[in-house]
Amino acid sequence: MVKFLGRRLAASAFMIAIAATIVFFSIHLLPGDPVLILLGEQGAADAEVVARLRAQLNLDAPLHRQYLDWIGGLFSGDLGQSLQTGLPVAEEVLRRIPRSLELIVAGLIFATLLGIPMGVVAARRRTAPAGLAVSAVAVAGFSAPVFVTGILLVIVFSLWLGVLPSSGYVAFGDDPLGHLAAGLMPALTIGINFMGVVTRMTRASLTEVLRRDFVRAARARGLSHRAAIRRHALPNALVPVVAILGVRAGNLLGGMVIIEALFDWPGLSSLLVSACFARDYPMIQGALLAIFVLFALISLMADLIQSLIDPRMRTGR
Amino acid sequence: MRKLFAIAAMAAMAVFAAPAAGWSAETPERGGTLRYGTVTEVSSLDPHIYVGSAWKVLIEALYSTLVGFNQEAELVPELAESWEQPDARSVVFTLREGVTFHDGTPLTAADVKFSLERIQNPDTGATLRPNLEGATITVVDDRTIKIEKPQPNATLMSVLALPEASIVSRQWMGGNPNVKAQANGSGPFMLEDYEPAVKATLVRNPDYFVEGQPYLDGVDFRMIKNHDARVNALRTGAVDMIDFVPWKDIDALGRVSGLVVESAGGAFMNLWFNATKAPFDDPRVRKAFAFAIDREAISKAAFFGHGTPLYGPPTTPDSPFFQEDLVETFRFDPEKAKALLAEAGHPDGLDIEFGVYQGLAIYTTTAQIVQANLKEVGIDATIKLLEWANVVEKKNSGNYDVMVYGVSVKLPDPDAYSYYFGAESTYWANPIGFRDAQLEELLAKGRALTDEAERVAVYRQVEERLLEISPWVFINWREQAQAYRKNVRGYKQLGGALSESSPGIALPQLWIQ
Repeated sequence: MVKFLGRRLAASAFMIAIAATIVFFSIHLLPGDPVLILLGEQGAADAEVVARLRAQLNLDAPLHRQYLDWIGGLFSGDLGQSLQTGLPVAEEVLRRIPRSLELIVAGLIFATLLGIPMGVVAARRRTAPAGLAVSAVAVAGFSAPVFVTGILLVIVFSLWLGVLPSSGYVAFGDDPLGHLAAGLMPALTIGINFMGVVTRMTRASLTEVLRRDFVRAARARGLSHRAAIRRHALPNALVPVVAILGVRAGNLLGGMVIIEALFDWPGLSSLLVSACFARDYPMIQGALLAIFVLFALISLMADLIQSLIDPRMRTGR
Repeated sequence: MRKLFAIAAMAAMAVFAAPAAGWSAETPERGGTLRYGTVTEVSSLDPHIYVGSAWKVLIEALYSTLVGFNQEAELVPELAESWEQPDARSVVFTLREGVTFHDGTPLTAADVKFSLERIQNPDTGATLRPNLEGATITVVDDRTIKIEKPQPNATLMSVLALPEASIVSRQWMGGNPNVKAQANGSGPFMLEDYEPAVKATLVRNPDYFVEGQPYLDGVDFRMIKNHDARVNALRTGAVDMIDFVPWKDIDALGRVSGLVVESAGGAFMNLWFNATKAPFDDPRVRKAFAFAIDREAISKAAFFGHGTPLYGPPTTPDSPFFQEDLVETFRFDPEKAKALLAEAGHPDGLDIEFGVYQGLAIYTTTAQIVQANLKEVGIDATIKLLEWANVVEKKNSGNYDVMVYGVSVKLPDPDAYSYYFGAESTYWANPIGFRDAQLEELLAKGRALTDEAERVAVYRQVEERLLEISPWVFINWREQAQAYRKNVRGYKQLGGALSESSPGIALPQLWIQ
């Protein structure tokens, strides 16, 4: 197990290093100049002013020099300063990470708690009304674009019932209940989408597993159908479900722009998007680095969970 | 002041007893926090670099200027209690006594000098640098400061009244604070908490120099960029006031009981030409565009009726500089457009590309209608959608043919035309190398005059010249709307250059019922 972990960690670190390097050089290919944006609509055409500000921000140094500086800073936990705000990038990124993660985790919990039982029902009663109904809900859940789900939730719970705030972030420290209320709908929006995926994957995978010999063998040993599913079929069926959830959750780190905009939730995605629009290079690099690291950790966790479910993965057999 | 209100309220109750409820309710009450939802993601609080409408409101709340505007759009004393003009080039201000910055240090003339010189310093990249260029700032004594311009200048007072001319503390700035994220002004509110692009929490400044103000205990700014989220926040009562009401929602919100929507023309939409590059260097071509555009259709489709066609120059009817007979100059006339194109040597039309900011429907819809209108007169226009960073870069490098561009009125003075069309202005003219000798001369003349009647005559000539050469095609005024809950009292929406500043101007007097 330790060896497995070590190997995976080394591979992840290598991947992060390559990705961060590619990002560093490729963002400079984007058209648009951060200095001109900083100076706004006015005053930017004065070449001398532009040059001075560029020098102040160390943007006039050769690219490879800037890269080495950035790498050097990394080792001391310094991701540089935002060009826009002058504040440390690391501080801003760290402030945003928990906000994104909590929505993703809450969404995952909701999706697993509802999606797996629904998937089982759908697999066992494929043609019965219950199975069909569950499948319909699942398809609606993951095929509805998140903004549709989100807007529907806002209309129902905020505009009609008036029980949840339509948007906004409340820090847990300021108001724990308000924090939960504010996060409920965005988490649910993610959860409903995930739930659809979990249900469909569980159904497909379980249907396939139920045809396997070991399930029949378990039944032949006298286990009830229900027990055979719970102890033998389901664990086997869940391996691909965990895998796909890992990837999806990782994607959400930077891909929640729409949800964050809709619910005015200041997470990692909106930070990244604003930084891109402003060509705030250090912030883009910092936010992406955070996303790469978290993505690697999430897939590592997905692998761990899979190997707990399926011991063959630990030993590589 | 506070006592006065209390006495007034008591008197009202005594005299009118019950029926006076409506009237006495209009006596401002102290207390409460205003929750304000704004479209702009404010990334910097530097008081000398404009970064959007919410920035203006925040800076007016945190900082003060020498002079300011009141809710009647009149120039009023702020940090300066009085001033005199010994000659047409200079102003001598006497500062109010006993004003302190939020950190407790007293305001002196040295702070004013430091602030204005910071604006003049190219390293700052200040918005008003061109307006203060060449001015000499002299500390006469602790409470007296003299500002002297190289030439007579009628715009100086309006420039100094803008939040972009805020006074900072010299001592505080000496400690090299991050002015993008911290604030130490002498405004009605103090910065308690700030998260860039997310929120700003302001608390009442108990030592504000206007006795009894502000009425509010604080202001919570939430930057809600998403239009639906911002509107929903107001509808559900999560905020008390929002700016930049999306045009599609202006009518709908106006029908919601308990809400007030107020709008005024504060910005105008244009086609910007690269007027030094063929074929756009020919005024006939530019005027062909001006006649070809169906401004009525744009006002209806892109602004849901909340836009006013602009066939003449961008001066509002309430301005003393308004010229009634110029307003119909470019009434929709496709035939005339075709004739002008032919005259300019393009009888078979033109192929052009025009850049459009992709982030707002008012831009993209305007562009689509313009494209259809141009087609009618033989101009094939290809729309190129751009994100804001590209728009700014193209504008500042002059690397474009035609762009759709929204402009907020930059100065409460017709010298705003210098800001747009003056050859030195980096806003539009300078990057493409535009210079019209006749216009330059007229603008300089207008700036140097102080008699209003004489200025009116000069700016009439400026506008005639502008329409004659049409460096931009003016399309329409767009109404800028704010919406708020009925219990928010004391707000007044101003038009023109003060449109964006209206919430900031109102803030010290706003109160919650």
